[in-house]
Amino acid sequence: MSISQAVEAAGDGSGSEFRRGVASCAPVLLGTIPYALVLGAQATQKGLSTVELSMMTGLNFAGGSEFAAIQLWTSPPHIVLIVAITFLVNSRHLLMGAALAPFLRDLPRRKVFPALFFMCDESWALGLADARQRAAAGITPAFSPRYYMGAALAMYLTWVGFTTLGAVLGPMLGHVETFGFDMAFPAVFLVLMRGMWTSMAAARPWLVSLVVAALFYLFVPGAWYVAAGAVSGLVAAWLMAGDA
Amino acid sequence: MIDATTLLVIVLMAGVTYLTRIGGYVVLRNRRLSARAAAVMEAAPGCVLISVIAPAFVSRNPADLLALAITLVAATRLSMLPTVLIGVASAGLLRHLIG
Repeated sequence: MSISQAVEAAGDGSGSEFRRGVASCAPVLLGTIPYALVLGAQATQKGLSTVELSMMTGLNFAGGSEFAAIQLWTSPPHIVLIVAITFLVNSRHLLMGAALAPFLRDLPRRKVFPALFFMCDESWALGLADARQRAAAGITPAFSPRYYMGAALAMYLTWVGFTTLGAVLGPMLGHVETFGFDMAFPAVFLVLMRGMWTSMAAARPWLVSLVVAALFYLFVPGAWYVAAGAVSGLVAAWLMAGDA
Repeated sequence: MIDATTLLVIVLMAGVTYLTRIGGYVVLRNRRLSARAAAVMEAAPGCVLISVIAPAFVSRNPADLLALAITLVAATRLSMLPTVLIGVASAGLLRHLIG
């Protein structure tokens, strides 16, 4: 069902608005499950307990940064590296929040701040698309908080639930590296990047990051390759922005 | 069950992530970002993700490189689950066959 059809079908009842949010998120949830299981299983390989992993996914709730953190996880972990990488991976939230802000103008801050905790790529995209569609159809207020929270909470419970399940099942899989399971990480990251792909020109900074990170990995000891690759890509994006 | 350093990392991760979530609403809502600043923010997640997996691209094991190439092609056309399955199966098989 398209969003516009859903708007017509749902009416104004708040319970049905919540259900409409859950329903439009459902296809996304199915795609999230395998990726959540992989994260949970990999976290236990790195020595995190199930409780620690559940806390990470429950408090942070941003999958890309959690994958990066687990991949970089050592014992003890590099605190500054992981926190800085988390910020960089999630810096797109700044743009997402700014794009959503005009639709949140009429909501009190005591509702906005909790709602923003649940802003992930999926709930943001659904909430914003729905608000734009309702605005175009002349419905006020355009932003439906209950629709947004339906999508966001469905995503949250699926993410935390299935990452935890992955952590519980992880130890039963044994040492998975020998069977090629370590390739799950590049696979997940490449699919995430395909989702962010807009054009070859926009992806050139990624290539810069790849080359610099690979060179640092080969020639500089330690985990500096992540920071070097990320920063060089950002500099490249800055320099290339004029002609992209 | 919960290690103190791990807890610290988790809390700090959660804190910076929440700041990115409210930051756009609080700080940027009445401003226009320059095209350059927006381009940098758009590129950032991909730059970090590719940097994290960069070691896989310079593996000295031909089986791993071949499996990565297969995974890369799969990622351009398939969804998450089939891509992960193809990646894992090709890495496992090729390591077994070529070593």
